[in-house]
Order: sequence, then structure tokens, then C-alpha cells
Amino acid sequence: MASAPTTARSRPSTYPVWFFLPAAIIYSALFLAPTFASLYFSLTRWTLFNSVFIGFENFAQFFREPFLIQGLMNTVMYAVVTSSLKVVLGMGLALLLTSNIIARGYLRSVVFFPVLVSTVGVGITFTVLMHPTQGMINQGLALIGIKGPGWLTDPRLALYSVALVDVWKGVGLATVIYIAGLVAIPRDYYEAARIDGATAWQNFWHVTLPLSRPATATVITLSFIGGLRTFDLIWAMTKGGPGFASDTVASVIYKQYQAGFYGLSTAGNVVLFVLIGIIVVPLTMFLNRKQGHE
Amino acid sequence: MAGLEFKALHKTYGSVPVIKGVDLSVDHGEFVVFVGPSGCGKSTLLRMIAGLEDITSGELWIGDKLCNDVEPRDRGIAMVFQSYALYPHMTVYDNVGFGLKLARTDKAERDRKIRDAARILQMEALLDRKPSQLSGGQRQRVAIGRAIVRQPEVFLFDEPLSNLDAALRVDMRMELAKLHQDLGATMIYVTHDQVEAMTLADKIVVLNGGVVQQVGAPIDLYQRPANLFVAGFIGSPKMNFAEVTVQSIDGTMATVTSKDISSVSVAADTSRMSVGDTLTLGVRPHHLTLDASGTLVGGVSLVERLGNETNVSLKLPSGATWLVVLDGDHNLRGSQALQLAVDSSTVVLFDKTGQSLLAPR
Amino acid sequence: MKRRASIIGGVAAIAGSFVVFVIPFIFIILMAFKDKPQSALRDFSWPQGFHLWDNLVQVVTTRNWMMITAFINSALITVISVTLLVVLAAMVGFVLARRKTRMNGLIEFLILAGLMIPPAVVPTIWLMQGLKLFGTLHGMILIEVAYNLPFSIILYRAFVATIPRDLDEAAIIDGARPLDVFFRIILPMLWPVTVTNIVVQSVGIFNDFTNPLYYLPGNQNATVQLTLYNFQSQYNTSYNLLFTNILLITVPPLIVFLFFNRQIVAGMTAGAVKG
Repeated sequence: MASAPTTARSRPSTYPVWFFLPAAIIYSALFLAPTFASLYFSLTRWTLFNSVFIGFENFAQFFREPFLIQGLMNTVMYAVVTSSLKVVLGMGLALLLTSNIIARGYLRSVVFFPVLVSTVGVGITFTVLMHPTQGMINQGLALIGIKGPGWLTDPRLALYSVALVDVWKGVGLATVIYIAGLVAIPRDYYEAARIDGATAWQNFWHVTLPLSRPATATVITLSFIGGLRTFDLIWAMTKGGPGFASDTVASVIYKQYQAGFYGLSTAGNVVLFVLIGIIVVPLTMFLNRKQGHE
Repeated sequence: MAGLEFKALHKTYGSVPVIKGVDLSVDHGEFVVFVGPSGCGKSTLLRMIAGLEDITSGELWIGDKLCNDVEPRDRGIAMVFQSYALYPHMTVYDNVGFGLKLARTDKAERDRKIRDAARILQMEALLDRKPSQLSGGQRQRVAIGRAIVRQPEVFLFDEPLSNLDAALRVDMRMELAKLHQDLGATMIYVTHDQVEAMTLADKIVVLNGGVVQQVGAPIDLYQRPANLFVAGFIGSPKMNFAEVTVQSIDGTMATVTSKDISSVSVAADTSRMSVGDTLTLGVRPHHLTLDASGTLVGGVSLVERLGNETNVSLKLPSGATWLVVLDGDHNLRGSQALQLAVDSSTVVLFDKTGQSLLAPR
Repeated sequence: MKRRASIIGGVAAIAGSFVVFVIPFIFIILMAFKDKPQSALRDFSWPQGFHLWDNLVQVVTTRNWMMITAFINSALITVISVTLLVVLAAMVGFVLARRKTRMNGLIEFLILAGLMIPPAVVPTIWLMQGLKLFGTLHGMILIEVAYNLPFSIILYRAFVATIPRDLDEAAIIDGARPLDVFFRIILPMLWPVTVTNIVVQSVGIFNDFTNPLYYLPGNQNATVQLTLYNFQSQYNTSYNLLFTNILLITVPPLIVFLFFNRQIVAGMTAGAVKG
């Protein structure tokens, strides 16, 4: 500092730092502190009353047990499938719902409403609808001569069936984000493109898609994080089953917690948090870099 | 009664100085205008008076109170912002009365003061509206009303007219002048518009780079600029400058010459120059007249005919371009040669450091 | 020509959206109207007789009126934690947007971390037991506040940034003391984003299942989402009651949706774009 101010800044500020305090206390005590504590407890065998330091044994177990590895793979697959479907369907629906189609208000409401409904309620409803023989979906398919699969009972399919329900519930959010992005594109671009003689497809490819990149970045980031953390829908529909076929890291954390393996459960948390770190951080950086390029 | 006194005021942001030692005194009831290019520190100085910026060093006296550490509300000031800063969630009535409410003025008294202010500004009909329902000029009135109602000793205006369109600006300028007459309070007014400065001010303070360049009555600044910066900044169109050499000195008269001007005799402070010195000569575009025996010759490069006057860009032999404003309409053609006389009584000479060499009065 | 194409497209879209998005809800409603034997068929059929009222009574009175307790619990958690969120997040968002210090970078990093990182469950339980918060309603409320603060702060900070600082300064000149600026000028102006915050966070917290599952065990503290989850195993033969329960807990979000659709969409897209 070049010159010390002669006036003491003792007057109370208009922007008092203590405004941070209540929020900071709650956030630190109930979110930050446990997060830091998890780094230690993941290295222990832990009963909540005492903990024995065992190094990376929990993590070693995580990458040794086939069902835990499968949970890890499932988590990534689930996130990839749900976020890519949400991007494609969300964009498509947003294009449809910003065109001058009839009953636009009705359509927007109907697509968005599931976002607000209880996940457990949705999970239970679709578990009933997806029943292999008595479920409405397969009965409907039977009417047009298709034999529906065992959506939630076939181990190869269960995870993706849950992912589909996730998309059903979440695509409304992706759609409204895209709608906000599309509406923000200035009309001038389309008019300029029309004067240049662009076709509808060229319009989409060269104007709409690049200019809605911020929306795409948001949808991907949000649904990817959501997908990696997903628990409630899986728990309401399959509880990770059949077997371990639809387990994700989050459901493994819960199962280990229930079984009393607190150290292992916490190691699962750390794995999930590292997973999010190594996938989402580069992903957002990539998406934002491209965005800055336009 | 409240005048202001600045003693060696300094302001630095981190290690960047923005106000570099300002000394100034303002008498009670004076209308003082701070002018200068953007970034010259005029708004910062105003905000230091208001108490919105800390004073790094020096003293600020308002009336007979040292105000460096006094809260804005206790300084006896009111401020009108460039953006008006009306509270959007309050009606005009509440906007004007907010300060009184905070001061716990009783309700009847408050109502009386708000209605008085509204009457002075002829905005009684607007009291129940929200700011979003007002035009720019009306918002301006509310902002002024909010200041008046506090009955301050000192009014501070931060470029208050710059968001208005040209016609409204002229009207509001006149109203402000009238308001100053009626209230008799001290007013400090920041602007970059020199017409506002010339017409409103009792006293103009020209700032540049955080330093006061000159303080004085508007016409003094125009006729007797202290240095090249003030000469160039005050007056529109800008003063023309040329490098000249001192040919001879005779008492208080100096005769100078250059490539473009054969010779001009100027009254100046001859004690600070000697024959052969290189000086800068300044002459305003309005002080050049068509004269077949004139000392200045140049070619017309651009003509703007305004009807009542004619603006001519003149290419001089040295390659410099001067602007000439001729009275009345002249139908001049490009590249036509003009011969002009320089009104030597208005010419100002400047030394190498840019200080003017005016003859003492 | 164009007009007819848009009508055909519209009809197709309406039909498609009806099958995909509306039929599941109609199914829920139909099931809630059926009696136990018919609901066991789990088919898409018209209810034989009107059993909604019976079903409702049964759902509500089961296990000593647990549903009512659960609704009260959920309502308490939602209302109190949203109130706290609004006040605390507005305070942080205000100072964060106005005061530029070296701390801001760190604070913003922590906010982003809060949006991305899943909470470490068992250490949280361990800490809450130490603080005597585990399994209590107020503990649950604080958890909801902690987990949802980042989103609310981001909404508020973005909005405060659009309020010109001149307003703060005008208020200071008018004689406002530090707290007056926030409570009398800024907070009233934040009303639109406060509505958004209230609506979005209420829906989220009311629907939260995972956190009560971990931090609020035991029946006397159950929230509506937990109750529904428990009913699933208890009533796996009484589909009529299960779906009546689903219908019941869909009503609050439906009401919010009908009245505040615009604010929800605004909040979710704004928060999302910033996040």
C-alpha cells in the first residue's frame, strides 16, 4: 500500500461481512466439515464410535469387488444415457414448442409438470407400469403385437429402464432451459440466413445449434451431475436390482451404510466426488471454452 | 451558512492516485461547477464531499465542521445522481419522503415538506406514481425533489442532465439556475458539458488528471486561460494552436511569427520570454476574420454552412489544419485560398510548459 | 398451407404428449378411484364404483394418522427451511455482489462445490449425532438449508448485480444506516427473485426423499416422501391405497404449478444458466 489512509474506517459498513456469518456457519458445519471429514474416514474401518486407520483398503475393495465396479460403471453409463437423451429430446421439444404450433401452452405445461412431481411417486408409478406381464406398457405393446421385455426384471435392461424414467421426469427442465436459450437468439440471424437462402436444416445447423450452446452446456452439466448423484429414483424402482444390475455409487453408499460399513460407505462418497471432479470439471471447462469461441 | 474548504485533498485507490492534492474554497451560496474530461477525478471529488468515498489525506470542511469522518447523513448535503437513483418500489411521495422518514420526522411535518417540494418542482400530480411510470424529465424532478426536501446546506449534482434529450436539457438547465436563485444554497455541479458549466456557474473548477487546472468565473476562463489545457477545453469549437517564434519585444508587446502567420503583435507578460523563444500561440476560431490584408493565408478544405455562421477547415502552409468560424453565410469552394486577419487582442501565448503568458491586468 | 401443416403437427404433438406425459397421471388417478381387487389388476380401466373417499380415509388414518403427522412434518421442514434460505441467501448474495474482496473467489468456489459435490452422508450423520441434531426436525431443516444455500445465493447474487449501486448511495445520502440499505431498499426490490426462490425451493424440499431417508429415521418424524416409500412395502397388494397416497402428495406441487408456473421456470432456467 502506497499511503496509509489517515481516516480510520471504523464506521459500520453498508455491506457488512457478518451477513455471511449465519449462512457460513450452517454451510460449514453441515456440508463442508463432513466433506473434509470424509477424506479421513474413508481411510478407516469405522463404527461411528471409533475408527481404525486402514489406509486405502476401502478404496482397494471398491475396485476389487465386481459388484462395486459394476456400480461405478453403471453410474457413468446412467449419467451418459440420461444427459445425452435430455440434450437431444430437450432440444427437439424446445424447437417444437417455440415454433408456432397449436396448443403451445398446454404442451409446455404437460412436458414440464413431471419435473415438479415427487420422484418416489414417479418411481412407484412406473414400477407398476413397467411390470413385465401386468404392466400397462407391455399390455399396450401387446395390442400392436410386440412382446415387451422385462423392463425392470431383465438385468441387462433394468438400469436403462430407470434411466428412461429419469429422462421422462427430467426432460421438461432441459426443454425450458433450451426454450430460454432459443428465445434469446436474435431474430436478425434467421433473417440474415433467409436472405442468404439457407434451408431449414442449414438454419438449425449453422444458427440455432451454435447459438444455443450456452443452453446445451447448462443442460449437459446439470443432468450429468444429477445422473452421477442419482439415488432416489433407483431406490424407489429397483433398489439396485435385480442382483446388483442397476446399482450406482449412490445406492452402494446407502447399502453399505445400512450394513454398517461406514468406512466403506464414506469411501464410496469420496469415489463419487472424485468421479464428479474428474468428469464434470473438464466437461464444463470444455463446454465453456467452446462457448467463448463463438 | 455553509461554504466549503478543501485543504490538500488526496485520494488513492490502492496505489493509484486519482485526486492529487486539491485546494479550493467555495463561498456560501455559490454555484460551483467541476468540469474536465472523463476520468479527471471530478466525480470522485464530488463523492468525497458526499462522503461516498473516503478521503485518503487532506481536510474537507463543510461550514465550520471538519467532515473527513462524518457520516453522509450528518454533512448537511443532498445529492442528485446521474441515473436519478429513484427507489423503484416506492411511489414518488415515498421517494421524496424517504430521508425524512429515516430521520424520524413526524408525519404531518413530513407531509408538509414533501408537498412543498412537489409544489416548487410542479410535480404535485405525480406523487402517487412509481418511478417506472415517469418520463426522464419527471424522474429528474423527483430526484431534485428528494434533495430539496432535506433542506441541505450544500447540493451536489453528478451530471444530472446527461440522460435527458437536448431540448429538455436546456429547460432543466434554466430551472436549475432558478432553483439556485430561489434557495440560495451552495451548489456543486459536475458535468463534462461546457455549455452547462458556462451558463450555470458562478465559478468553474477545471480538473485534469486529479489536479485543479484553473478556478475562476466562466468568462475569465474563456478569455484568460491559465494554461494550454484550459484553453483547449473551454470554448467550442476548440482553440487553434500554432508554434511561433518571438521576433521582438517592445514593452508589454511581443511580436511573434511562424511559417503560417507573417507577424502578430500580442500583449503578453514579456518578462518571462526573450527574443528567439519558441512559444505556442492560441487563437479561437471566432476571432479570425476575412481580411484581404490579413496575416494568415490558407486553403479551404471543408465548409459547413449553418446559415448564421460558416465553419471552415483551413489548411495552412505548414500543413496544420485550423478551424475558422465566420459570421454570416459564405459560399466558399474547396481549395479556395483565404486571407484572414487575427484579432491580436484575443490571442494568448503559452510557454514551453504550457503556462499562459498573459499580460498582468 | 403453412397453417394446415402446423395444425397437423400440433395434433400429432398433442397426441404424442398425451400418451407419454398425461396417461401416467390418468393412471394414477384411476387407480386411486378403484377398490382393492380391481386395482390389483393394475390395468388401464375405468373404476368400478367410486372408492376415492374410502381410499383417502384409509390412507390418512392408517398407523395412527401417520399421514397427517407426515404432512405436518413436511410442511414444517419446507416452510422453515425456505424462510431461512430466503433471508440468509439474500444477505450473502447482497454482500457478495456488492463487496469486492479477495474472499469472493473462495466463496464462489465453495458455492460451486456445493452445487456439484454430493454430501458425505455418514460423516454428516456422525457430526449431527455429536450436535444432537440427528433424527430431529430442526436438524433436518438445517440440512435442507445447508444443501440448498448455493442455488439460492446464486439467484440472489445475480439479481443484486442488476440493481445499480447508485440506489444504495442515494439511500446513504438520505440518511440510511447500514442495515436500512439492505432491509428497506434492497430486500423489497428482491421480491421477484424471492418468489422464485420460495417456489423452486419449496417444491424441491417437499419432494426431497434422500436426505430425510438418511437424517430423519423413525416413524414419528417421517416426511410424506418417506411415508410413501414405506407404504410401498406395506401395501404391495393394496395398489389403490398406494396410488391414493401418490395422488395426495402430488397435489401440493400441482397447486404450486398452477399458480407459479412462470416463476418456477424463470428460477430454474436462471439458476441453471448461472450455475
